[in-house]
Amino acid sequence: MLEHDVLVVGAGLAGMRAALAATEMGANTGIISKVYPVRSHSNAAQGGINAALVDRGDAWEEHAYDTVKGSDYLGDQDSIELMCQVAGEELISLEHMGVIFNRDDEGRLGTRAFGGQRRARTFFVADFTGQAILHVLYEQLLKSEITSYEEWFVTSLVMQEGKCCGVLAMEIRTGRVYLIKAKTVILCTGGLGRVFEPSTNALIVTGDGIALAYRAGVPLMDMEMVQYHPTTLKGSGVLITEGARGEGAYLLNKDGERFMERYAPSMMELASRDVVSRSETIEIAEGNGINGSVLLDCRHLGEQLIKEKLSQIYDIGLDLLGIDITQEPIPVQPGMHYQMGGIKTDVDGLTSVPGIYAAGECACVSVHGGNRLGANSLLDTVVFGHRAGNHAAEVSKGTTQEPLDVEELVGQEEKRLAEILSRDANGDRVARIRLDMGTAMNAHLGVYRDQNGMKEALDTIQQLKERYTTVPVEDKGRTFNTDMVFDLELGLMLDCAEAIAVSALERKESRGAHSRTDFPERNDADWLKHILVTSTPEGPKISYSPVVITQWTPEERKY
Amino acid sequence: MDLAVKVRRYDPEAKEPIPYWSEYKVEVDEYTTVLDTLINIREDIDGTLSLRCSCRSAICGSCSMRVNGHAQLACKTRVSEIAPDGGSVTIEPMGNMEVIKDLVVDMTPFWDKVKAVDPWLQPEGPEPEGEYLAPNEDMLHLAGVMGCILCGACVSDCTVLEVDSNFLGPAALAKAYRFVADPRDSQEKPRLDSLRQYSGIWDCTRCMECVQVCPKGVAPMDRIMVMRDLAMNAGFDKEIGARHTDAFVELVSHSGRLDELKLPVKTVGMFNIRAMQSFAPVGLRALVRGKMPPIFHKMLPNVENVRRIFRKLEPKK
Amino acid sequence: MSKYAFFPGCVSRGGCPELYPAAMQVCRRLGIELEEMVGASCTGAGVLQEKNQFLGDVLNARTFAMAEWMGLPIMTICSTCQGVMSQANKRLTDDPEYLARVNAELAEEYLEYKGTTVVKHLLWIIIEDIGVETLKTHVRNPLTHLKVAPFYGCYILRPSNALGFKDYPGRETSLEELIEAIGGEVVNFSGKSRCCGFPILTINEANSVAMVGKHTSEAADMGADAMVTPCPLCHLNLDGYQPKAMAQSQRKTNLPILHLPQLMGLAMGLDPDELGLQKHIISTGDLVSKAVPA
Repeated sequence: MLEHDVLVVGAGLAGMRAALAATEMGANTGIISKVYPVRSHSNAAQGGINAALVDRGDAWEEHAYDTVKGSDYLGDQDSIELMCQVAGEELISLEHMGVIFNRDDEGRLGTRAFGGQRRARTFFVADFTGQAILHVLYEQLLKSEITSYEEWFVTSLVMQEGKCCGVLAMEIRTGRVYLIKAKTVILCTGGLGRVFEPSTNALIVTGDGIALAYRAGVPLMDMEMVQYHPTTLKGSGVLITEGARGEGAYLLNKDGERFMERYAPSMMELASRDVVSRSETIEIAEGNGINGSVLLDCRHLGEQLIKEKLSQIYDIGLDLLGIDITQEPIPVQPGMHYQMGGIKTDVDGLTSVPGIYAAGECACVSVHGGNRLGANSLLDTVVFGHRAGNHAAEVSKGTTQEPLDVEELVGQEEKRLAEILSRDANGDRVARIRLDMGTAMNAHLGVYRDQNGMKEALDTIQQLKERYTTVPVEDKGRTFNTDMVFDLELGLMLDCAEAIAVSALERKESRGAHSRTDFPERNDADWLKHILVTSTPEGPKISYSPVVITQWTPEERKY
Repeated sequence: MDLAVKVRRYDPEAKEPIPYWSEYKVEVDEYTTVLDTLINIREDIDGTLSLRCSCRSAICGSCSMRVNGHAQLACKTRVSEIAPDGGSVTIEPMGNMEVIKDLVVDMTPFWDKVKAVDPWLQPEGPEPEGEYLAPNEDMLHLAGVMGCILCGACVSDCTVLEVDSNFLGPAALAKAYRFVADPRDSQEKPRLDSLRQYSGIWDCTRCMECVQVCPKGVAPMDRIMVMRDLAMNAGFDKEIGARHTDAFVELVSHSGRLDELKLPVKTVGMFNIRAMQSFAPVGLRALVRGKMPPIFHKMLPNVENVRRIFRKLEPKK
Repeated sequence: MSKYAFFPGCVSRGGCPELYPAAMQVCRRLGIELEEMVGASCTGAGVLQEKNQFLGDVLNARTFAMAEWMGLPIMTICSTCQGVMSQANKRLTDDPEYLARVNAELAEEYLEYKGTTVVKHLLWIIIEDIGVETLKTHVRNPLTHLKVAPFYGCYILRPSNALGFKDYPGRETSLEELIEAIGGEVVNFSGKSRCCGFPILTINEANSVAMVGKHTSEAADMGADAMVTPCPLCHLNLDGYQPKAMAQSQRKTNLPILHLPQLMGLAMGLDPDELGLQKHIISTGDLVSKAVPA
């Protein structure tokens, strides 16, 4: 029998941090991931992790204010304060585990500048900070007693009397379904980037945990807040770190003009991401772009700095476009990058459903509100992963495992999966449905939105949901059936897409990443509140929750 | 342009589970990567094709496979570079690992070996309140190894693993180096002591396959060579490998050239009768054929210049 | 007329004494003029570099400086010498500061390396400088009945960025090109670019011998009459340890292993004995009778 006090779903930064915290608290801990832990998408975080260190003359209040302002005042200020207060502690603990952060001349941790912040407080490892941290947490995972289920796909949460008691999961290698009992389940499954096409996100980023929680009755919050990153590679949509601009790279239009001067005269290229992405979109729409993109120019940074601090994007330029960024600017465009919203949790990761926790990108505490600052996502994962692990371990101590009819539950799930495998060819394909969904989402829920477009996208999603019920899986085998995995992921993504569209239609103002051409202004009187969406048999149901304001009253955002 | 993609397939559930080839015709442009073509195949042509892939930007390490015979990340390889005029590309699963299905291999032994080098930082004493102080040059140096994404390409093409699955292999040894070279770690000597054992640093054959195929410039073999030197300096110089290196250096320092006749004798020791016997059959056969190295090894005409360089740069202990 | 500073390497006059005269004869036929570098030291073969790479680079810079003084490119006849020197040359020419540090060690001998020496293996010289067409004109005895398996040796293939593969992409298949030019049929086996096992012979003989067994049996299974290698260290292992490999694997390969100049010499009609073919551990008798019609 597979059984744990705490079971963490997802082995990225939030997941591994949560599992390490839980096991340290003495909980029998398991971690389950559909990929090997080091394949997780936390890898892709290039730029760094924010923390205001007092001994560098910084103050957590400064960091918190920048974050609140960046969130366009939708972030909950109590959560933000907490995150910024413990940031230094979490950063140092990562260093103690072995992360090889860049140093200053005295051998202390060194910083770089990042967007939307008035002070350089981003700690980094060249331009592969996420990978460098992820691999160190993996080292700690190997050292620990945690049971690791690698390449297992969670298909459902097991609910009994309104409480979560474990998960049903498919071992991808054999196709067999297992029930893993758990007193508490922490969802750390990351974002939902593949709901959009294109996206900077990896192919595995399919909103699994968000949809699993949603299906289990947990409300999702701020789902309309989808971040478009200002610098993604034209064509493939691969991410080019904000660190490039942090190190001083320029954004240029077709005339070679640093157009940000007109949109954000003081912060220029380092204004917050929503602002820069909108500016680029306007430049391109007004005919100042080059084939639908603008240029990111690193040339003046010099070869040594580029190779030392931006080595990964130097390689990406060469590998994917054949461009040497020390010699030539590269074409970039805004691209879907991050989901600010997600599973509504408190600061301990707990949701409204007993037994279900969430942390990291799949969760919404909410510390990012309408727009996340660069390098706050890594911080979010370790701070709230840590807290969720602690809390879940504590709660599981006082909980006894409910008896479950394992055979019955596994049997039902196997039947559900067998039905999918048994479908006959009907000319439709899983990939085609995903592409239709992604294209519609990108067209109508991108940088600029309006009522008609969003309505059209929602209609499309509902039609796609119909198609999804009969779409066949071509691979009929049980062994490493990736076709089957895509099918299951698509179902989860369609739920996420619907939640985004419904929430976005609801918010009749422009705030943070949610920019409506039909409601171009922010409207604090009516909309300084979170939008929640809950799954019901009648369809998605909207409700609201107030934004927590502690010390910063909303004011106009200027960069 | 058109491209023929030949993929080596394997379905363990087939009636006769034996590897076979599938060939697909796809359209590619200048920027299409090998991974793009495989995704294209899987999504539009043949959903039964299994492969691992995720990030599309050479950071997650999922899509290592053999492309035209050599391990590489499919997402980092543009088709136009390996088949500039179209034609065909051959895709196979990684080597030295058991195939589960199609391009998916069993990486369990790979992870087990990474774990076998105790890959976690072991500092000494109580943790400081703030960060450990460390020179930035050391961190930049480690970044070269920490850049390893554990994709397995080096293990796939390792020539020692082809004949000896016990070898720790380039990825695990590079991982070990990341701790040996970390100024914060206190276990350099015990780590080297364990790495010098059978299946460790001395079993590398220096073929450079790992240096060649590594998509991240980690150069595992170079790290292994540094650890050999560190192990010898740490006093672990009785290994046959260490003695081989020492003997080589000593012979060249003496005559400016290598004396192959003396090398095995010096390496195994004149009194290691069993090892000497193992060279004997080859030696005798070579002698009969007139192939033996000259007994009186010739010295370089100006050997004193070479000796001087040795005396200065590699002083005897 | 092409002229080179000849760097024979230790093994061509040590463990494989048949290689040196074979190479000399072939070069004479092809009109390659050689001036032997009598004062040059061993390259370090990668072994010395394990212990002290700087020392290795000083020794090789010394050799390059001598060739520079002679005003000639260097010719090698050993994959290992070639690779080790190419790697050293890359380090020296990539970084002027490093070169200056190395040169400081040579000053006492009044030598200075300016960074201009080109180092080429005989194999590359034939393909790139002499040309396949010229080579063909010297073939008296085309090896049309022979199936030959190429075996490069690691150091002449990797790391390719030190070996000029970008400017000379043909180097990756130069051995096949040469075999075909002299009339042979190439046995394209997967082991051709792998390791012969020589570097770990004294350290882990079982693995080393297993490599010999793997490559020789794969080539033999594909019908090879012989294997040819531009590396005398590979030759030492593939030839010298093939009997042990046969004992280990219970597979009677008896595959003759030829040095590159020996195979070329056979095609040029040179005397097999003068090429040293009788000096091998694995008999070349049958091969010679098949290659040279009575």
